[in-house]
Amino acid sequence: MGWGEVKQGIRRVNFIVCAIGMAMVIPLMLLTFADVMLRGFFNKPIPGTFELSQYILAIFILLGAAYTQQVRGHVGVDFVTSRLSPRLRVYCEILTTLLSLFIIAIVIWQGWVEGITEKAVSDQLRIPQYPFRVLVAVGGFLLWLELLIDLFGAFGKLRRNEP
Amino acid sequence: MTPIAAGIVGSFLLLLLLFLGMPIAFVMMFVGFLGISYLASVHAALPVVANTVYETAAYYPYTIIPLFILMGAFAGGAGITAKLYGSFDKWFRKLPGGLGIATIAASAFFAALSGSSVAAAAAMGTIAIPEMRRFKYDPALAVGVVAAGGTLSFLIPPSLGFVVYGMLTEQSIGKLLVSGILPGLVLSLSFIAVIVVKVKLNPVLAPVTPGHVSWKEKIRALGGVWETMLVFFIVMGGIYLGFVNPTEAGAIGATALFVIVISKLKLTWRGLSTALVEATRISVLVLFLVAGANVFSYFLALSTIPASVSAWMASLQISPYAVLSLIVLIYVMLGCFLDAISMMVLTMPVIFPVVKTLGFDPIWFGVVCVMMMEAGLITPPVGLNVYTLAGVVKDVPMATIFRGSMPFLCAMIGVVILITIFPGIALYLPSMMGR
Repeated sequence: MGWGEVKQGIRRVNFIVCAIGMAMVIPLMLLTFADVMLRGFFNKPIPGTFELSQYILAIFILLGAAYTQQVRGHVGVDFVTSRLSPRLRVYCEILTTLLSLFIIAIVIWQGWVEGITEKAVSDQLRIPQYPFRVLVAVGGFLLWLELLIDLFGAFGKLRRNEP
Repeated sequence: MTPIAAGIVGSFLLLLLLFLGMPIAFVMMFVGFLGISYLASVHAALPVVANTVYETAAYYPYTIIPLFILMGAFAGGAGITAKLYGSFDKWFRKLPGGLGIATIAASAFFAALSGSSVAAAAAMGTIAIPEMRRFKYDPALAVGVVAAGGTLSFLIPPSLGFVVYGMLTEQSIGKLLVSGILPGLVLSLSFIAVIVVKVKLNPVLAPVTPGHVSWKEKIRALGGVWETMLVFFIVMGGIYLGFVNPTEAGAIGATALFVIVISKLKLTWRGLSTALVEATRISVLVLFLVAGANVFSYFLALSTIPASVSAWMASLQISPYAVLSLIVLIYVMLGCFLDAISMMVLTMPVIFPVVKTLGFDPIWFGVVCVMMMEAGLITPPVGLNVYTLAGVVKDVPMATIFRGSMPFLCAMIGVVILITIFPGIALYLPSMMGR
């Protein structure tokens, strides 16, 4: 299996993972809507709407982080680098991607350490918090792989430009 | 190094990495991490980033972001943009620059359903520009109107701009949203005034659209507007009267528009997945930026820079309005190079304490900030709306679009001055809010 296939595989996984998170937004919308309606008309709110919303948001955001990087969604400033020579631009890309990999690696490590030891449960439904905290590490790892693809891509550009 | 020196070095490192093209969210996390490690300890700094990411991603009020984006996407999918445009065209046809006025009015109404501006500019671009060109409007005017009209989504609630400002400054998002209503109306009217004045001075810019519209048709055309009004009043009325919190209002609005799309049989898999991908991309982008900003603010607070700058500003004994003018000028310049949300996220940790020290109302300043974010969408070289439009109308050069937007930029500055003189325009409605 070549790098090309691995890369495609990672991207595919990241898209599917993002789609899982994404699909939960409609239930989130309907849950909140139903909660307001039941509260307003029958004075019977849905217990735990607040905490379920928080958990859904966490899934949605953390699982979407990698795909957002795939579509270049994490914005940066390019009006300086776009004026540099192609070679210099690739060097900038390598440096900044390495630094991003560094900080996300810390997020993964600490996300795991902090997540797995979390004992808190939600107020009403008593749902433990740790699986969602661990998602910081999971989502961070997928984001890290996406950044790694970018790094290899930059090295590839550098090699192809070599005389 | 003293804490202040460390803060300054950190800020320069941030700028350097920013210009090298590192994603802004990661830059802020990275520099914030280094700074906290230096000023506190590595041990203290290590968990900060991961914990901030979780706390930002699992914070209930932020659920409003995907919901607001869905509102805009469903409204676009239901074909509401085209309907609004058709209705207002019938009403304003006989006025100078009638199609332009209809575009601004339709954009303002669409803004009452949509939280993000690029979607509005793109949707309106595909409908209004071909129409205006068919009737031989000046290309610069036609595209300028659409680019400027698109920015209204940022000011007229639901608005992502106010949500982000509220997140960064811990102000009530509900009050901020309500505070945008009157300034949004004033800004729309001033855009319309710009069109009328331009066309009066030079009628060649916009030939009168032929065709008479009877009163019967005009009344019937109102049918294209009622859905928008209804959803807007339910959403904003709910917030205003205190029946629902802004997130719940977002859910009601999104569900209502979802039902409208389904009832018109316009819900496709493709449309739904595009809407959801858009909601994901923007929500992740915004929340990672906010998480980065929170890490970076923690570092800045340790460096005591925000407090020192505020104290220094207060000791200068210059008019707060001079400082405000300077801040507005800085935002206009930053808006040329940064996208709206990044600009807020990067500057708020220092600017907001200064503004509070100077005694300005935080809600009022929110309106000013959001208007500066809007201005950034149409200033060269990287106005986002202009880029979006350039993608929609391929035969109009980018420079023409920027030139066409300039008069509207002046109108924005004019309205900022107006609400500075009469802060009540922004503050009257929120001051009356039920709690």
